[in-house]
Order: sequence, then structure tokens, then C-alpha cells
Amino acid sequence: MKTNTKILTSEFEYLECPTLAEALNCLSKYNGKAKILAGGTDLLIKMKSGLLQCQYLIFVKKIEALNYLISDKKTLRIGPMINLRSIEKNEQVKAYYSALFEAVRSMAATSVKNMATIGGNLCNGSPAADTAPPLLVYGATLKLSSMRGDRIVPVEEFFLGPSQTVLESDELLTEICLPDLGDQVGSSFLKLGRVSADIAKINVAVCLNRNGKTVGNCRIAFGSVAPTPIRIPEAEEILKGQEMSDELIVKAAKAAAGLIKPITDKRSTNSYRQQVSKVILEEGIRSAWQRAGGEL
Amino acid sequence: METTVVGKGLPKFDAYTKAKGNIAYADDFSLPGMLYAKVLRSKYPAAKIISINTARAELLPGVHTVMTSKDVPHNNLRAKFGQSTDIGPNFEGLYRVLAEEKVRFLGEAIALVAADSEKIAEEALTLIDVIYEQLPGVFDPIEALKPDAYLVGDNDTNLVSQFKIRQGDVATAFESADVIVENTYRVPFKDHAFLEPEAGVAWVDENGIITIRVCTQVIEHFRTVAEVLGIPHNHVRVIGTWVGGGFGGKEDISVESFLALLAWKTKQPVKLTYTREESFLAHSKRHPFVMKYKTGATKDGMLVALEAELIADAGAYTYLSPWVLLYATVNAAGPYNIPHVKVDTVAVLTNNPFSSAYRGFGAVQPNFAYESQMDELARILDLDPLTIRLKNCLRQGDTLTTGADFGGSVAVQEVAEKAWQALGPKRADPGKHIKLGRGLAVGMMSYGRLTFLHDTSRSYIKLELDGSVLMRSGIPDLGAGQAQALVQIAAEELGVPLEKIKIFTSDTSLTPLAGTSTATRQLYMSGNATLKAAREVKERLIDKASVMLNADKTDLKFVNEKILRISEPDKYLALSAVIGQCSTDGDELYSEAQFNAPFTEVPVSDVITGQTFADFTFGAYAVEVAVDEETGAVNVERAVTCYDVGKAINPLNVEGQLEGGGVDSIGYALTENFEVEQGYLKSHSLAEYLLPTALDVPDIETILVESGAGIGPYGAKGIGEPACNAMAPAIINAIRDAVGVRITSLPATSEKVLFAMLSQN
Repeated sequence: MKTNTKILTSEFEYLECPTLAEALNCLSKYNGKAKILAGGTDLLIKMKSGLLQCQYLIFVKKIEALNYLISDKKTLRIGPMINLRSIEKNEQVKAYYSALFEAVRSMAATSVKNMATIGGNLCNGSPAADTAPPLLVYGATLKLSSMRGDRIVPVEEFFLGPSQTVLESDELLTEICLPDLGDQVGSSFLKLGRVSADIAKINVAVCLNRNGKTVGNCRIAFGSVAPTPIRIPEAEEILKGQEMSDELIVKAAKAAAGLIKPITDKRSTNSYRQQVSKVILEEGIRSAWQRAGGEL
Repeated sequence: METTVVGKGLPKFDAYTKAKGNIAYADDFSLPGMLYAKVLRSKYPAAKIISINTARAELLPGVHTVMTSKDVPHNNLRAKFGQSTDIGPNFEGLYRVLAEEKVRFLGEAIALVAADSEKIAEEALTLIDVIYEQLPGVFDPIEALKPDAYLVGDNDTNLVSQFKIRQGDVATAFESADVIVENTYRVPFKDHAFLEPEAGVAWVDENGIITIRVCTQVIEHFRTVAEVLGIPHNHVRVIGTWVGGGFGGKEDISVESFLALLAWKTKQPVKLTYTREESFLAHSKRHPFVMKYKTGATKDGMLVALEAELIADAGAYTYLSPWVLLYATVNAAGPYNIPHVKVDTVAVLTNNPFSSAYRGFGAVQPNFAYESQMDELARILDLDPLTIRLKNCLRQGDTLTTGADFGGSVAVQEVAEKAWQALGPKRADPGKHIKLGRGLAVGMMSYGRLTFLHDTSRSYIKLELDGSVLMRSGIPDLGAGQAQALVQIAAEELGVPLEKIKIFTSDTSLTPLAGTSTATRQLYMSGNATLKAAREVKERLIDKASVMLNADKTDLKFVNEKILRISEPDKYLALSAVIGQCSTDGDELYSEAQFNAPFTEVPVSDVITGQTFADFTFGAYAVEVAVDEETGAVNVERAVTCYDVGKAINPLNVEGQLEGGGVDSIGYALTENFEVEQGYLKSHSLAEYLLPTALDVPDIETILVESGAGIGPYGAKGIGEPACNAMAPAIINAIRDAVGVRITSLPATSEKVLFAMLSQN
């Protein structure tokens, strides 16, 4: 058992980088020996518990160029250093990106949300990260930058396992980009916790387009049921191109529940997660469909 | 009696200072040259200590001392819990400062370090080499009772104590019962999770007095600290700070002995503050109980017999287990008239975290069991929850299962009716998979310590020449308004506005000892002492004023800093003028008064009979829950509580106590599960041990009944701990009402409720 001593016992050098160039330079220079500090709401706890050590700590939250949320008519670009509270309060997000809004709304207490960044939530690599399922169903891409250049990675390919991502040790997440979601779109996010503002026992996001009475494009993603947040393509296929009905929703949700293989941990049990996955997915699909203007 | 200050819902005088963050809590205090302490804790729940080598730690630059049990002059003492009466070994246990020979629980303190910084002290802990030999241990109290069980302590049994209640003949009575309900109930460990973890600073003052500024419910531990060091009692001074919550978790000694030892050894000031995780490891928990209940009734719903067997997990050391068990024993049958009762209780040592005081102190666990039983009986007999309770509840003139009479007021019927009726007409279920349900539970609990503890309290009041008032009381204020209540009483009696009264609290060398802030005793005990002191001073003022005003003593009244004639209100004297005259005449206006609780002898038999408590508080909770049939999630939609508080000295504060007790019990019922597996904590921080958040708690509606029949000042009863009764079983009964499942172990997590529903279908 690791105890949070509230003390950073290991020695490290603290580097505050006000610009992206400096941050990338530092990451390149101290390649493999540095950790990136943004809001610190995950990282510092790990350090105080002795679970994580580093020689250099690179503070990137003050990089103004990475703190933004820009939406034109079609796309949304999010600077990874924006804090969760700012996303929650953004009117565009609230109006058009319901799943993301509901995810950040469900997270932590306000004081923590004022510190924590969306970039940190993703790069921490938790299977329970609440912002991951919405970004998965929006088909978001991530820009990863280093002195070697930039590369674009779909969110789907970003997570490798608990605390593991494709981010190289000299790379920094520099932008989250949500593509054009098309017309007649609706999305939703649901989560079960032990108390309000808890880490998810299980969470789910749904995003779909409506063509009259039939489902157009559709994506479904779960968190806390696998080593990474995951999409369930089989369940998406059941919905796509079909006329929406209660039976169809039940069928898709049942299929999804049969496909996930959650574990038992301190927050819940595998059997409970399996059992409620279909419940929250059903509700998620219903709510996304209604937001897309559909009726049930 | 007409009152002007008592009975008013006034903000506590400390409230604004606290809201502004200006209170210097135990950790918010430093001295020049202060060292920082850390505690090395056991890695195993059961192990033999082969050796402890502190050499490497001592060599670390910045380390001033490393202490182990061999450096403690008196490492093993009989624990005193602030009581000054000798109550014999049956009600006391071992207090061991630092582990020696073997460790009994995970996190048991083994060594102390004092260093120039917390960081160095933390590093030094890693340099202490302890060689352990792991021992099997025992982690289940039922296993621990078996003849060949692993022995947790140094005795030849793990049994801590056992009690019995014998009333009538249950065997014959059950034969005459038309309905019998039998269930086994389980409740888990519960952590106090106070906002402020244990903290303190100690130093040796210029006269060689070891002074400890600490957050504690019991400043009287100064005597134990002196005995640990082997120095006279008056060489240790404890200054109690404002406490950021206690709930029983700061009733046992926490950092005091460690700080005293380190300050005494280094002759430098030392600070020790626990982290949350360390706090979880270091302090007691509420006792887990396994409770077998068998309740019999006639077909018209009259109780005929109750048989209960309660097994409490005392954990690794005795601490307050015998006391808690005695409370559980006396409260086991609940506030009901049952002709035939048989109760058997045991507390057993295990290698789990040690259990001790927790708000509710043994009354809360059986309350969950007996109120679940009543609910089941009502369902079988097709009676509503209120009716079955009214048919059987205690009334004025009834006796307790021990044969003791209830004094004062027994308002079970009134509180049950008022709480239940306040829920109003039922609502329709809000959604197809959301089911509403309602539950009722009543509860009882004593206030004031066990009567054989011969409890006393003292309070000091002095009138200054300008008419302002100075009070001194050893009372530790835990945030529950303990000090405010005393000030309101003095203000009431002396006709002085609250802001002209200043109270100095919680200093063993300078304030009269008021006893512990435990057992819901401070308003009752120190309130009475304050009332007595105020009235003594008042009498002397009346004597003087009657001469000065040429009035009859019975014709005088204290109002707004004046003493006036009731018959001629325009004839009055300023209070300060009377004080001035008294002073001129050589009569200093002060009083230190002592209040003695009624007392009884220490029980000599396992079978408990007669009086063990001075009085009881009765209350009820009625709740409405919404259960999601698909996820098993339970939300408390409404909660109404009604308690007979005797007299609300400060109604605002009483409501706060009732709401706090309710919220605490929502956690007990639904989310808080201090999981321990083979002695290892599974819930070692607030990320795993889930307290209800503001969003998980409904507005709690409070109804105060003021019978005026308590034995506290102005007829007040105690409310602090009794407020933790009834909410948890009311919630569980409401779940039963909503979805038809009976949850017999706490907490009722979504997982538990969902699978109970699935297995029922």
C-alpha cells in the first residue's frame, strides 16, 4: 500500500515553460527523465505517494497558446491546457457537445476542476478518464508535438493500457480536434459512481446522427470496463442504418454488455459493471437520439 | 420558564472567525526551532518484532532523535479515558505507546523520529530497519473466540468482555408467539473522517512543564502522558485547540504521548500532524458487529420476546470496547416494552484496526438490527410502520430491560408520529424504473457517561468591574457549539449580552477541568456546572442589590445589564454599579462550581441490572428513498427527523447536530465501507472511503420536541450522539418498501441492492 505523505520526497528539478517552444525543447533535452505537469491533480498525488519519480518536472500549464477552446461552425479545437471548469462553462460545448459537457460536469469538485486540464485527464491514461469516451465517440484527433515535428493520432489509437499512451517521452499533447459531426447529431454521456463527483465505476458515451427515423453514423464508447476506454463497434453496427426503436436499443445494449469484460476493483465488481452497462447504454442511446431530434 | 437568550437560534461566537479561516487549529501553529515528527508504522497486521535498528536513521543529517519502545519510560499502562474514578480492570485495557515484541495491527506505531523538516523525518523512517516475523493473526471475531485461535494480545483469550440481559423467560415466550422473525445483521468498520486530522505541537516551557497544544476531545489525557514519562501529573499541560471534528475519533490518545516523548528527549518544540491516510491507520473505528436477532410477536402486533446475540470486533487493543459493548447491551432491545428479553454480547480482539468510540457508541449498531426487525414484523402482520411502533414503544413509567426506571420524558410515541406524519401523502413513482419507498425508525441513546464513572464537571465565571464576564472551562469544543452553549447559559442567568462574555477553554493547567467532550455529556454536565456557578454569583449580586435598592430579593430581575425591581421596573441599578459595590466591600464576584452526575456502583456481574445511565434521548427518522431498479442506486429524497431534546439551548445548533448525525448515517447506510481484508486496509484514503457529498444528501427537515424533562440545564437532554440513531435503519426500511428487498448488512451499495433484487426475481 502506498501512502500519500503529502511530501514530494524525491529530488527533481522544476522547469517552468511559458512557451510551447521551451517546453518541447526541455522535453527533448531531458528525454525520458522528465514528467509533464499540467493541473497536477493526478501527477502530484502519484508523486506524493512515491508511485512516480522523475528528475525533471516540466510545468506547461502556463503556456497560453495551449489554453483555448475555439469552435467554428463545424469543428471544435481544444487547447489541452484548458481547465475542466472552463470547458464545463463554455456555451458552445454545452449546446452542441452534450457528451463532453456531461462528462466534465460529472467530474470531481469545482476546486479540482479549476486545476485539472483536459490534456492531463487524457495523458494520465486512466481507463476511467471521463473525457475519453466523449472524445472517442466524436472521433476526435490529438496533435502530439515534439522537436521532431507534429503527428496526428486518433483518440482511439491513443490509449494503450492503464497509465499507458502512445505519447513518446519527448512529446506533448498540443491540440484536441473534434471533426464536423454532421447534421442531425446528438450525443450523451452517462456515468455511475459511488457518490456524486466520484471516479466512474463505469461510464459510457454515445454519438449518433439521425436520418429521419433511421440511425446514420453512430459511435459508442465505454470507460472503466477494459484496460483502456474502448469503442464497441459491434453494438454500433447493430444501430447503423436501422430504424430506431426500443427493441433496437435493447438489442444493441445487450450485445455491448456481452462484449465487455470488466474487472472487479475497489470501485465495483465485474458482474455489476456487466449488468449496468446495458442499462446506461440504453439510456445513453435514447438520450442521444432525442437530442438528434428523434422520437421514441 | 421564560428565557431570553437560552432557546434562541444564535450563531456560534466562533462561527465568523472559522468562516474567515482565522482559527489557529492544531496544525496552524509553530514555534521557533521547532522539529517535525513522523511515526514509523507496522507493515503487517500480525508479526513478531525480531529487531529494530535505528542506527542508519540516527546518522541522517537533520535527525535529532529516533525513539522506540525501549526509550519510553512507561510503555504499557492501563488506559484511562479521562475518568478519575478507579473502575477496575474489567472496564479498562492496555494502552501501549509503541509496539514491543509483537505488532497487533497494520499501522501500529513502532518508532518516532524528530527532525529538522518533515521531509528529513520521512526519509529517516525509511532508514529504520525492522525485522519482522509474520504471524498468522486472526481477523474474524467469531474465529478469534475459538479455543485454539491465534492470540492477539498477551492474555490467554481474545475475549475482551461479555454482558447479558435476562428478563423473563424467552424460550417459553417464543412458544406463545404467533410470528417470529429471525435475521443476522452485519455492520462494518466506520471511520470518523473528521475534517482535521490529528495534529499537535509540544514544547518544554521555561519551568520544565511539558506543554502539548493538540486537537483532542479529552484534555484529561495529560495524566496518562505524565505517567508514560514517569513525571508528576502537574508537569504536563495540555492546551486543547478548537477541534475540526471528533466524533469519538479523538477520544483516545493520538499524538500526545509521541509529542511529549520527543519534546522531552530533544528539549525542542516538536510538531506532528497526520496525513489523512495515516489518520485512517492510526485512530480507532466504529465497531463492526454481527447481530443475531430473534423477535416474536402476537398476531395483533404485540411484542412478546426478543433474543439477541451481538459479537463486536474490538480490533487489536481493548480501548473503549467494554464500554461500547455495555451501551450495545443496554440498548439492544430498543425503546420497546418487551416482556421477555435475553441479550448476550461479546467483544473480541482481532488483528484488525482497533475499535473504540464513534458517535453513537454502541447504540447505533443494535438500532439498525432491532428497527429492521420491527419493519419485518410489521410487513408480516400487515401493520404500517408507525402502528407497530406505537403498539410497543416505551412510555412514561416503563422500565428498561435492566429493570432501571426512566426518569424524565419518554416521548417515543410523539417523535415517531411527528416524523412519520411530516412525510405527508405518498407521491407516484417518478419513472418506470425508479421506485419510491418510505421507512421509519426510532432510536434511543443515553447522554452523560455511564453512571458508575462518577462523572463530574466544573465551570468558572467571573464578573469584571465594567460588567463584562470572563468564563473558564476545560471544555474541548469539537465544532458542535459546546462553548457557545455555556456562554448562552451565563448570558441568560446574568442578563449580560453574549458579546460581553468571553470564555477561555481547554487548558489543563488554567481552566477548571470540565471532563471529556464525549458521551454527549458536555451540555448536560458542564451546562449544569455553569448554571450553578452563574446562579451562585447571581445570588451574591441579588443580596447586594436588594440592599442598594431597598427591595425584596424576590422582587429583583436581571435584564440588559441591569438589576431592576419587578414591581417598579424604573427602579434599577446598572449591573456594573452592583459589581463595583461588591468589589468595594471586598466581595470578588466569581464562582467555580462543580456538578456531580448521579452515580452507581461498578457492575460486578456479567448480567447487567439496574441503572447504568442517568437519562435517555429518544428520536425518530422518517425517510423517502428512490431506488433505481436497473442500477440498484439509492437516493435519499426526503428525510424528516424528530427528537425530544428536552430544551433546545440553541435551536440552530441542535438542528445542525441532527442534520450532521443524519448525514453521517446516510454514509453508514449507503456508501461508507471501511474494508479490511486479513488485517489490511482496502480503504486507505478518502478516494476509496466514500463520504456522501453535498449532492448526495437531501435537505433534512428537523422537528424539535421540547419536553423540558431532561436532566441538563433548563431541562435539556443531550443530542450529539443520539442524532446518529434511526436514520440508517429508516433508509434500509425504505429500500424494503420501495423494491421489496431486505438489506441486512451495511452499507447498502448499488451492487448489493441490485443483486438482492435480481436474486429475488
